[in-house]
Formats: sequence, C-alpha cells, structure tokens
Amino acid sequence: MLKLFDHEHLDLDNLSDDLTAIRVEDLSLQFGNKHVLENISMRIPKHRVTALIGQSGCGKSTLISSFNRMNDLNPQCRYQGQIYIGDRDINNKKQNVSELRTQVGMVFQRPNPFPMSIYENVCYGLKLQGIKVRRQLDDAVERALKDAALWKEVKDRLFESASVLSGGQQQRLVIARALALKPDILLLDEPTSALDPLTTLFIEELIAELKHRCTIIIVTHNMQQAARVSDYTAFLHQGRLIEYSDSDTLFTTPEQKQTEDYITGRYG
Amino acid sequence: MNKSRRLFSQGQRQALFIGAGAFFTGLLLLAMISIVLLIAARGGGYFWPQDVHRVSFLSSVDDQPKTVFAQIQSEYMQDGQKMRWLQLSDAQSPYGRQILLESNRTLSLARAPEAARVALKDGRVVLAEPVSVESPESTSIAVARIDAVRENVAQIDARITAIRDDALSQIHLQLTELDQRKVSKNAPARKKLNKAFDRWHSQVLELERQRDSYRLNLQLAQGDDISIPLMDVYSLEHTGQLTAVGKLGVALNRVGRFLTESPKQANTAGGVFPALFGTVLMVFLMTIIVTPFGVLAAVYLNEYAPDNAMTSIIRICVSNMAGVPSIVYGVFGLGFFIYGVGGSLDQLFFEQSLPAPTMGTPGVFWAALTMAILTLPVVIVATEEGLRNVPQGLKAGSYALGATKAETVWHTILPMASPGIMTGVILAIARAAGEVAPLMLVGAVKFAPNLPVDAEFPYLHLERQFMHLGVLIYDGAFHSQTDAKSASMMFAACLLLLVVVFILNILAILLRARLRRRYERR
Ligand SMILES: Nc1ncnc2c1ncn2[C@@H]1O[C@H](COP(=O)(O)OP(=O)(O)OP(=O)(O)O)[C@@H](O)[C@H]1O
Ligand SMILES: [Mg+2]
Repeated sequence: MLKLFDHEHLDLDNLSDDLTAIRVEDLSLQFGNKHVLENISMRIPKHRVTALIGQSGCGKSTLISSFNRMNDLNPQCRYQGQIYIGDRDINNKKQNVSELRTQVGMVFQRPNPFPMSIYENVCYGLKLQGIKVRRQLDDAVERALKDAALWKEVKDRLFESASVLSGGQQQRLVIARALALKPDILLLDEPTSALDPLTTLFIEELIAELKHRCTIIIVTHNMQQAARVSDYTAFLHQGRLIEYSDSDTLFTTPEQKQTEDYITGRYG
Repeated sequence: MNKSRRLFSQGQRQALFIGAGAFFTGLLLLAMISIVLLIAARGGGYFWPQDVHRVSFLSSVDDQPKTVFAQIQSEYMQDGQKMRWLQLSDAQSPYGRQILLESNRTLSLARAPEAARVALKDGRVVLAEPVSVESPESTSIAVARIDAVRENVAQIDARITAIRDDALSQIHLQLTELDQRKVSKNAPARKKLNKAFDRWHSQVLELERQRDSYRLNLQLAQGDDISIPLMDVYSLEHTGQLTAVGKLGVALNRVGRFLTESPKQANTAGGVFPALFGTVLMVFLMTIIVTPFGVLAAVYLNEYAPDNAMTSIIRICVSNMAGVPSIVYGVFGLGFFIYGVGGSLDQLFFEQSLPAPTMGTPGVFWAALTMAILTLPVVIVATEEGLRNVPQGLKAGSYALGATKAETVWHTILPMASPGIMTGVILAIARAAGEVAPLMLVGAVKFAPNLPVDAEFPYLHLERQFMHLGVLIYDGAFHSQTDAKSASMMFAACLLLLVVVFILNILAILLRARLRRRYERR
C-alpha cells in the first residue's frame, strides 16, 4: 500500500494489476465509418494523475469518454476491444452503464450545473441512487463540497440557484457533484479551458489534492498544465497512442519525433 | 454605373423601409385597438343604466299622437333624419317592444326621472312610473320601502319551498310506497296521510295567496295602470334619479348578475354564468388532456425516436395537423368519439338504458377531447422546440452522474423544457377558448338545463352538454339584426370571452415567466 503513494516512476508497460485503475486492450472506435481511435492499449495507474494531450480532433475526448461509456449516447458509435476496470470488461454488453458512471465520474469543458440549487446539484446523483434520508444527504453534500474546496464559499447559500456562481465556482460545484458519488476514477475533459489563470491554478491544486482519493485522468491543451499536474502523460495523434510515459520524461526527452514536434509547438 | 441609376439611394431605401414598417405596425395597432375599443364600448354599454325618456310621437299605424316611456337603444342619421331605436312600454305591450322612430314623427322627447325600469324575473322589462306597493291587507305602502317588502315576499316564498320540499314530498313518497304495497284505498294509514297532505297543501295555497297579493302598481306614460306581483319583480331601477356614482353602482351590480346568473328570454337577457362556466371547464379539461399527451409525444419524437424517414414523416404530419380546418375536427369528434367510442361504451356498459344513449351523445368530455386533438399539434411543436433548446452539456452532465435516459428526461430535460411546454399550452388555450364551430357538433349547446358540475354524485358530469360563450355569441349574432339590445348582450359576451382568454393567457404567461427565471440560463 505504501508503494501506491511514493513518487518513483512506475513501469507502465509492466504495471501489476493491483496498481492498475484502467487497462485498455486494443481499443478501436468508429463514428459511422470514421475511424477515431485505433488499436489503443494502455494501463492507467491507480491514484495518479494521467494527462491526455494531442492535437484538436485527435480523439482525446473520445478516449476519455469510453472509460464511462459516454460514447454510447451517440447512436453512430461502434467500438472493439476491451477496457478493464478492476477485473470487469466495461465494454461488455452486460455492463450496467449507470452503475459504471457512478464509479467513473466525469467533468466537462464547460461548467454545466443543473438549473437547481447548489444543494440539489450535489444531491442529484445520490437521489438517483434512492438516498432520501435528509441527514445522509446533508452529510454527503458537505463532504463533497469540502473535497471540492467550495464549502467555505457556499455554505451560507446552499439553497440558492447554482447559476449565480462564478465560472470557477461552477466548475468546482460540478466536481463536487461527481465526488459526492465517491467515484474510483475521475475524468476531467479540459476542466480549466473556460477559466481564468488564477482559477485554473486553484483547480490544479484541487486536482493534486484529489488524487489521494481517486484516480484522475485529465485532457488538456495546456502543456504547462499537463507538466504541472500530471504524473503520467499520453500523447495521441490521429487516433493512435504515440507515446505514453511519466510526464518528466515525456516533456523533457520525448522518444518520438511527433511528440517532440507537438510539445515544442511545431504543429497543432 | 448601374448603382447610380437606382431610384433611391441607400439611405433613402432604408428610410423607406423603416417608414413602411412603422406604417404597417401602426395600422395593425390601430386595428387591434379599434376592435378592443368597439367590443369594450358596446359590451360595457350593455351594463350602463340608460335614462328613461317620455316620448311623444305620431304612431305610424294610425297617425295619432302617442306618449310612451322609452329607452333609447341606439341612434343614427339617415337621409337627414335622426333615427332612433326605442325600447318602449305602452298599453298594448307593457312588457316592452322595439320600434324605429324617425325624428319627423317625434313630437317631444325628454328625460323622465319619475319613470323606472322594472325588470321581471323572466327577463322582460317594464318602463313605468311606480305608484305604490300593495300588501295583502290592501294597505298601500310607499314605493321607497319596496326593498323591505320584497324581503317579506322572499321569506314567504322560502317557506312555501320548504314545505314543498320537506313535508309534501315526504308524504308523496309514503303514498307511493302504499300504492306499491297495494294498500286499500280506505286504509287508516292512507287516510291519515291524505289528511296531512291536505293540511299542508292548504297552507301552501294560503301562503301563495298571501305572496301574490303583494303587488307593485305602476302607471304607464298615458296613465294606464298595471299591476305586477312583487314576486315576479327582479329589480327596480330609478335610473333618472341616479348620480353618476349611483349609475356606476347599478352597472357593477349588473356586471355581477351577468356573471352569476343564467340567460333568459332565449339568451337575450339575464346572465351568462353557465356559458362562462362551460367555457372555462372545457378549456380546463382540454388542458389536462392535451398537456401530458402532447409532452409525451414530443419527448418520444425528440429523445427516443430513431432519426429516420419515418420520424420525419410523423413530424411533417404533426405540423400539418395544425392547419386542418377546425370543423373537420368537429366532424371527427362526432363520428369517432361520440358515435364510435361513446356508442361502443354504451353497448358494453350501459346496455340496459339503450336505445337512449348514455355516452354516445355530445357532451363536455367529448368536446374537451376533440379540442385536445385539435390543439395537440400546437403543444407537440412548442414542446419539441423547448426540448431542442435544452443544452447538450446538461444532458451529458446528468448521464455522467449515472442517470438513465428516463431519469434524465424527468429530472433535467422536462424541467428545462417547461417554459416551451407552457408556450404550447398558452397557444392551445387561446385556440380552444375561441373555437365555436367544432364545439357545436360535439357538445356545446345554446341552452343546457344543468351545469356539468353539481351537488349530485359523481359531481362532475362529463357526459352532459354544456353552454359556451362562443356559441352564445354566435347565437346572439343571429338575433341581432333587429334586436338592438341583444347585440349588446352579444358584445358583452364578446367582451367577457376576451377577458377570459386574456386571464387564462396571463396566468399561463406568469407561470412561464416563473419557470423561465428558474430554468433558463442567462
Ligand atoms: N458525434 C460525432 N460524430 C462523428 N464524429 C465525431 C463525433 N464526435 C467527434 N467526432 C470526430 O471524432 C474525432 C475525435 O473527436 P474528439 O472530440 O475526441 O477530439 P478531441 O481530441 O477531444 O478534440 P478537442 O481537443 O478539439 O476537444 C474528430 O475528428 C471528430 O470529428
Ligand atoms: Mg475534446
């Protein structure tokens, strides 16, 4: 267990199963007849922050969305290969998608609080699970808001509409909403691209804090951000996984020419 | 250059465009205002108490001078003459008739403050000078005390009704029971009952005699006396002696009666309460039926239906249904709901009462159902619009928290689309409240003896026919050619219909504004 939190680099290719949060095996995905992901295999380590980088349209959002099967919402989407979380293949048709999504939370680029009160926003997932006891909900809301570093700012106005919050507060509310379900994995798809630099920093600190609680996968266009917050980074190009290693190595001495071109800004 | 040869420069074209726009907007506004003003003036005028005049004129029958009390219904100029429609009372027709009087036949016309307008309970009107009130003791009482005397009469009448409803009907029941048990004519029980019946009956007769000997004595303009049982008098207005404030009081009183009483004299007098009630009830039922169906259909089309040709065809059909003439829906309602569904229900459940139909006859429920079908496309289209406006990100947010499709629809999509749904409901209400033609086929009638709601189980009688403001107006428009007065009643009903639609709309709009504040992103 101690090994889980130390910061020496893990060997990603031979990561043992008990340190693996997600194991992707030969994943390919098409929207209609457009190939978006091709033969992706990777192991994402537990309790680490893994960043996905790559040019716009390379399939980052698609890949991260396949971890909680959000791609199923698109009727044109087909996929092959397996994704193991624990010892379950979540691409299996028998997988309960709702249950999966409570275990794998997701936060989107644009803050999307529901047009309800702050309290109700955080409760949304819990209520869907049938939790109705007021005390239980109150406790969960407080804990989730504290985890998302929002409690101090909103504790006096829990029952006001969430739409009066600032963009950064809204994004933390959305994170709290996902944390309330106590997910094992948290997917963040460009969580700071709609926020100002200071708020971004705040969220980044939050991410560093949260990795003790769950495995985090973050999509970002910001190289500095990827370097700052992530332990491991994967570089995608046109639906293929080009390079995947610890962030220090990837950003200082990339192995592939394409990676180097991308991180030095020669294209994309 | 081509450009320089144009008739107007860029700036002129713009000014022309704005000018034309302003002109047509103004025209539209003017048209709207004049419609509302006309209806408000003519409808409101129906309630304003008019002065009674003493009019002398040369009769068109025998060229003899004649004097009557009259109210001027309307006046206009024709061939340099002033023409007046008069509602008058004379010896031949004390209960009123209407004549058209030219100014060259008019000898004199002056306000007559001594004369009063006496309305009878059946809707007829006498214009005459009240002289005295007569009591059973043949003493005459000052007219000023008429209200107290009428109170008396009402009490006597209440006692008569009480005896009829309690004692007499009890005895009637018992006698019928004896008949059924074939008890002989001379049985003591029967004799006792008969005696009790006679005693009560004679008491009723006595009370009725007493009641009817309270009379109001009136004098017509030429001195003819008439006497009316006080029991029949509905109201007595001395309009000539009223101040403006007094007149306003009378007018408000009339508005109150108009809203709460039933029509009289074939919908030319009295109130419109049953029609008002029928209209609101029908619209209410229609809303209850159309909203869930319309919303369900829209949710299916927008969220569940596969994106294929079939769905597109259904969408096109729905939009086209909104353009089908309403009378077609009326015929559909009659043929399908009433004869088809209603007829089948009769055969299944009410066979014992056939051939008299129970469900297979026009009624308020079928009318509401027909109007619901008629307004369904409006609700579907507006709801779909609302559903389309729900941001994709919010739906994704809901799914990402483990919500199923149904949960997302219920907890996120529908609340967000509720302003759109309300827009549909508003349009549906406005349309349903204004329709007349289809309603006449499926349950709205000129006169319905009972309201669809009463104290009798099951309280809401959905199979009953009902009255509707639109039908009342339609009916009134056919009386109005000569009957200037009913034109006013018709206008009053128009005004009321406008007010009803307006209030229903305002309620729905307020509700929508509330929902918007809550659910729409700013
Ligand atoms: N619903 C869809 N239907 C068809 N093609 C899609 C759909 N969504 C995405 N794509 C295609 O899939 C590819 C990958 O899209 P994706 O959103 O994963 O890119 P991304 O790496 O997240 O880009 P960005 O950085 O701009 O967010 C793109 O080429 C896009 O055109
Ligand atoms: Mg993306």
